[in-house]
Amino acid sequence: MSEDQTALLNEVSDVLESVLNKKVELKPEMNIVNDLGLDSIAVMNFTMALEDKFDISIPLNDMASVVTVQDLLNTLETLRSAA
Amino acid sequence: MSLLSKFQPLAARYDALRESGADPFSVKFDDIISSVEGVLKGKRTLLFGTNNYLGLTFDPHSMERSIDAIRMHGTGTTGSRIANGSYDGHAELERAIADFYGRKHCMVFSTGYQANLAMISTLVGKDDHLVIDADSHASIYDASRLGHAPVVRFRHNNPDDLAKRLARLKDQPGEKLIVVEGIYSMLGDTAPLKEFVDVKKEFGAYLMVDEAHSMGVLGERGRGLAEREGVEDDVDFVVGTFSKSLASVGGYCVSSMEGFEILRIAARPYMFTASLPPAIIASTTAALETLRAEPQRREKLTANSRRFYNGLKSAGFTVGPEANPIVAVIIDKVDVAAAFWKRLVDEGMYLNLALPPATPSHQAFLRSSVSAAHTFEHIDFAIELMTRVGREFGLLPENVHPFPPRVVTAERLSARAATMPVRRPAADVGAGMA
Ligand SMILES: Cc1ncc(COP(=O)(O)O)c(C=O)c1O
Repeated sequence: MSEDQTALLNEVSDVLESVLNKKVELKPEMNIVNDLGLDSIAVMNFTMALEDKFDISIPLNDMASVVTVQDLLNTLETLRSAA
Repeated sequence: MSLLSKFQPLAARYDALRESGADPFSVKFDDIISSVEGVLKGKRTLLFGTNNYLGLTFDPHSMERSIDAIRMHGTGTTGSRIANGSYDGHAELERAIADFYGRKHCMVFSTGYQANLAMISTLVGKDDHLVIDADSHASIYDASRLGHAPVVRFRHNNPDDLAKRLARLKDQPGEKLIVVEGIYSMLGDTAPLKEFVDVKKEFGAYLMVDEAHSMGVLGERGRGLAEREGVEDDVDFVVGTFSKSLASVGGYCVSSMEGFEILRIAARPYMFTASLPPAIIASTTAALETLRAEPQRREKLTANSRRFYNGLKSAGFTVGPEANPIVAVIIDKVDVAAAFWKRLVDEGMYLNLALPPATPSHQAFLRSSVSAAHTFEHIDFAIELMTRVGREFGLLPENVHPFPPRVVTAERLSARAATMPVRRPAADVGAGMA
């Protein structure tokens, strides 16, 4: 993982912690639903918080194709470079 | 087994709920006697969970017109309006609703759910953007998945948050449609519509308001929140339902937008389902006449809502932010809420138990809906019962009395419930209530 992605991973962890109100340790290969136990509402709230953190728009349908934490990092990078 | 095995976690949660003795998902009424009274397990029960805001389900004007319509036009249309044609009644009802709202166009749908599916999924396409309140009704979420537009959510009832999200989309091509509700169906709170209109104008977006729970309830003429807030000209589309104030089933959308009629051959949830049968069209048209002719129903509803809301609030319950006909008591623990709900039902008060994820938080709601057909005696019975049980459950301080304490029993139901015989044997009703 690049340095940029490691930094991004840390930021994403902070956002998720603020949404869940508990500590999480994110790894790129983690499955967001199964390993992190996020239900559909938590995923949507996580999305809103990410939008605010990075000041980007993440349409729900873009999140639908995100399975792992790595997918999420890639999606965020794409959206940020487009913004 | 494998096809349904993905539902095992859901089944496990449902089993746990049922083991606790409460099964809110399969209540079966022996009979429904009036707009506000039913029979449940052989016991007269006051109905506080019906959305029957104006108390019109047994209104003679609607019932007679409905029966006449069956005699004259039969029991069903057996097809969609596009493939099988419209009856006079469909067009007449559409004209009546358009006239009620002072709008040019109206489309009627087979349910309110389908009205949202049809309008939202069709109005915005893949090059547009759909922007919805995070606490939107399931029909709005489902519509967002049926359509092709990218979907962005904003924080519930938060105009600044909406503005922030629209600002992010500012440079993206395509139209933006904002969807909000008049009264939110779980907590009974209203949208800050004036502020939303300001944001909509600033960003050149379109605005749709789902007035499902506010039609017949808010506004001088009962048109809903947009009327009450004086912003009807800035609401591009109003969606609503016949299943609440109008006491039947079906949905509608009104608008004055030029070119609106093309949606009849573009919106799939309008095109590919059977149209409403004559009996429903007739009772709905009649109920709309009653809604317009009898504003006193709305006044009574408002008085009832305030009495119920204030009674529960002063007893110490955590309620929603506004006194509207939907009154939710918020309970932190799902198992406590389920036990509370079961006690109320056992003691003669039926209301809804709303559990996450249907609630916007991780809490459970004891959700009541007040009707114009409730008497103050009904309302007081419900407040006293909920207060007594709430104290017993340790959810309320002991020393707060919403009223001078009185003995409360199920016999305190209205005179009508006490004297009116159950009209039909138990068997054939029940399924009527959703
Ligand atoms: C806000 C909202 N919109 C739409 C609907 C759907 O209405 P219907 O029951 O007529 O399909 C409901 C109620 O179920 C609702 O609460």
